[in-house]
Amino acid sequence: MTPTLFTLSLCFTLALTGLSFHRTHLLSALLCLEGMMLSLYLALSLWTLQLDSPAFSLSPMLLLAFSACEAGIGLALLVATSRTHGTDRLQAMNILQC
Amino acid sequence: MSYMMSVLLVGLVLGFIAVASNPSPYFAALGLVFVAGVGCGVVACWGGSFLSLVLFLIYLGGMLVVFAYSAALAAEQYPESWFSWPVLVQAVFYSVVVLVALVYLEGGWFFFSVMPAEDADKFFLFRADISGVALMYSSGCWMLLLSAWALLLSLFVVLELTRGLERGTLRAV
Repeated sequence: MTPTLFTLSLCFTLALTGLSFHRTHLLSALLCLEGMMLSLYLALSLWTLQLDSPAFSLSPMLLLAFSACEAGIGLALLVATSRTHGTDRLQAMNILQC
Repeated sequence: MSYMMSVLLVGLVLGFIAVASNPSPYFAALGLVFVAGVGCGVVACWGGSFLSLVLFLIYLGGMLVVFAYSAALAAEQYPESWFSWPVLVQAVFYSVVVLVALVYLEGGWFFFSVMPAEDADKFFLFRADISGVALMYSSGCWMLLLSAWALLLSLFVVLELTRGLERGTLRAV
């Protein structure tokens, strides 16, 4: 496996496990999600340049646009949570607990 | 030059370990800024100077600044940096996973295919990434309009999410 492919796959997997094993804050889960988007952007950019396909350089730009949408909506959810529950700690979100 | 590329790739993995071990969001945002900077270096070393600039401007200068502001919502009295015990355990676990994957997957062309092989004795004006992104305005115009429409819709979604029952959208938390 080439080093760049290995590194980018590893980065995506690390950010995914960071999102899965989030601990206290909702914002740290959102930051791991942003890390996944960053690793996908780097992967698409590097594949554009490594495989000599200039037209594929559209896809990191479009990925960045949709990732901005997703980050904005995630932060709006964080603000809404902080307004209703008073904090963004995940222990406070237990209204569905029986 | 290949040492610089190797250092940048190692820095990328270390930065992602620092983010994924879930410290307090102040430190995780700092780790993400570091990772974005190192990633810009990786893309620029492979010849994508425009895509690297876009990453710096839009991702670092737009999105991560907003995350840094929102980190004020996660303020706590004793923020956990990477030197506190639970974060350190997770970071060590991720480092072990990285080393195991490295041992398992190396071999063949692993240590020889680090640098791009292109002719570097001339300066080209039309790089691959700039010419490709210019296609977004000619052949890919519908995707441009679709992404602009999606951004506009996400603005309305954000306004609706933060509206709540009363007291409006634009207020202090």
